[in-house]
Amino acid sequence: MNPAAPRKGFVSKPKALNCPNCGSAIELRALGAAAGVICSYCSSTIDATNPQLQIIGTWKAAMTIEPAIPLGSRGKLKGVLWEAIGFQQRGIEVEGTNYFWREYVLWNPYQGFRYLSEYDNHWNFVTPLQVLPAPSMSGLVYANESYRSFQTARAYTWFVIGEFPWMVQVGEAVDTADYVKPPKMLSSETTENEVAWSQGEYIPGTEIWQAFQLKTPCPPPIGVYSNQPSPYVGRVRSSWLFYGAMCALLLCLMVLFATLAPNKMVLDKNYVVNPATTVEKSFVSDLFTLDGRNDNVEVRITADISNQWVYFSMALINEETGQAYDFGREVSFYSGSDSDGSWTEGGKTDDVLLPNIPGGKYYLRIEPETDPARAGGLKPRIPFRVRIVRGRPFYFRYFLGMFLLLIPPIWTSIRAGSFESKRWSESDPSGASSSNASSEDDE
Amino acid sequence: MSKFYMAYSMLVAGGLAVSSLTGWSPFKPYEKVDGVPKSVRNNPGAYRSHYAGHARYFGGK
Amino acid sequence: MSTRNDICSNCGAEIRFRWSGAVQTTCEYCKSILVRNDINLALVGKAADLPIDISPIQIGTEGIFNDKPFQVIGRIVYRYDLGTWNEWHLYFSDGSNGWLSDAQSEYAVSFANSFTDAPPAEADLHRGLTMAQHSVPLYLTVITDAMYETTEGELPFTSYDKEMCRFADFRTNDGRFGTVDYSETPPLLFLGQFVAFDSLKLKNLKEFEGWPNA
Repeated sequence: MNPAAPRKGFVSKPKALNCPNCGSAIELRALGAAAGVICSYCSSTIDATNPQLQIIGTWKAAMTIEPAIPLGSRGKLKGVLWEAIGFQQRGIEVEGTNYFWREYVLWNPYQGFRYLSEYDNHWNFVTPLQVLPAPSMSGLVYANESYRSFQTARAYTWFVIGEFPWMVQVGEAVDTADYVKPPKMLSSETTENEVAWSQGEYIPGTEIWQAFQLKTPCPPPIGVYSNQPSPYVGRVRSSWLFYGAMCALLLCLMVLFATLAPNKMVLDKNYVVNPATTVEKSFVSDLFTLDGRNDNVEVRITADISNQWVYFSMALINEETGQAYDFGREVSFYSGSDSDGSWTEGGKTDDVLLPNIPGGKYYLRIEPETDPARAGGLKPRIPFRVRIVRGRPFYFRYFLGMFLLLIPPIWTSIRAGSFESKRWSESDPSGASSSNASSEDDE
Repeated sequence: MSKFYMAYSMLVAGGLAVSSLTGWSPFKPYEKVDGVPKSVRNNPGAYRSHYAGHARYFGGK
Repeated sequence: MSTRNDICSNCGAEIRFRWSGAVQTTCEYCKSILVRNDINLALVGKAADLPIDISPIQIGTEGIFNDKPFQVIGRIVYRYDLGTWNEWHLYFSDGSNGWLSDAQSEYAVSFANSFTDAPPAEADLHRGLTMAQHSVPLYLTVITDAMYETTEGELPFTSYDKEMCRFADFRTNDGRFGTVDYSETPPLLFLGQFVAFDSLKLKNLKEFEGWPNA
């Protein structure tokens, strides 16, 4: 007769409920936890907290929607088993067009109520929040994270079915405000009597389909959603870090090869051009050896000239193989002074880099040519100096390489920026409300 | 930051290293001529350069 | 735990008190509300049937809050315009007691406190009101008018003569909350914090048909 150890309670399924309006049987999936129940046959909203099952209202819906997750389905999300017990479609009006989204009520007897909201096949797992977020410059701060204001709107309920923790009505209106920090979102819903806060976390549709084992094909999401995480966030940063590392690598290579470059002077000789001569103007240099299998050769000519040009037709000839590299270079220098002051044009030195020259014994054939029409002030003979260096280092191409390597991180940054533009294109411009939200009066 | 970027970067770096070793350049400021006889060393005039005789524009203010 | 044993003056069942501070209790068998005086238990009324009771917590549930173990020894069910909620009476291992509120499975633990600043008058309550108690800034979020629906187990006060009362709920930016209970004059203050179900490590919960246990 005495109560012994603490009793273990067992909550069994309530007996079948009959709609007080039309008499049809109503299944109570939340075993009585839900305050508002909609009869799926006659659409009456029933106050399930009242033992008399009072009817709150009946309504004629302008639309009937089939929930993607059938009511009564169970799925495991966040390590907890949930049952979908209620569904509603809500909408806002922006410039004459209605935008609808859908919400599911999930229930677990120990964890209570959660919600799944879906828009354009973007899904969010929503938890009611008891903590008040604190306002900040651009939105809110909660749990040390800053959320940016995204949108405010007045939302109307268009269609309801199943069970809800409150007595939901078609035509019910709330003022909503959304703040995002992808993948999370904070939302407030304001009615006359209270403000309710909730936190949403973006969840891909494929995860929902897998959790609830839905047989229908999972539709792809459309566009970018307010708190959809960007696939580029990590990639932008890592591609720029990699670029930095590559630049460092290229600089090291440049310095390395510059140090290893032979830079060997193989010929440094002075010659003379005699413009007045009538005999053969061309001549050849002494033999010199170019080391290595393949490398470049720099030919530098410095001519002591003034207000004239000298053209050198040259050929670098391999004495053994008979291979010649034919080229021509000009040295020209002019100077004078006028009303603006003194000026110069050109230079007394010219250098050219001959690439990809095999090693071997070489000589240089030079055929100089001067301007025949030039009169006055000409030196009859023009001394010039020829310097040949084997194996010069390359510099410019490394900077060109660093420029080419910029393309991928810039491309990634552009795509990331475009993703964010698409996200924010759906938001309220500079905080303005997208529909007529009535101002709240604090009495 | 993908495998593609990694491969592209290695290609660029590799190309720079190889060209630095071989002295290769896409610019060829010369023309290659084969079979120049050894006698040209004694008689330079016998060699007809492809770059001989040029007319030019006079510079200067 | 008290060793005093009493007899229900209605049905004669043995009543064993878990808490020495209990002022009233409800007989589990005949649902009579019994008020304790020095001599015996006086019958003062009958507890209403519990409404559809889907809270996973029950009398005898055990848990931990802030590293202190507790046992659930009593309950008050309040009814308001949108339904009901539970206030579970907690008895801690160090002899103190507190409350676990349970509304649609949102849980909060609170303790009776004294006001450091004067409480707002009941007539002055409006959304947006703020007050500070014990240096904690509190923002009014809900005003609720509620009445006792029924009671169960051991409570630190008598409930049989309580009617409609007003509660003002305050929240903070860091998960704490406060409630001003205007059912008495002067009003009562309860301060506490919201807790996640898992953090209470509750044992001896109810079982639900068709559901795996927590």
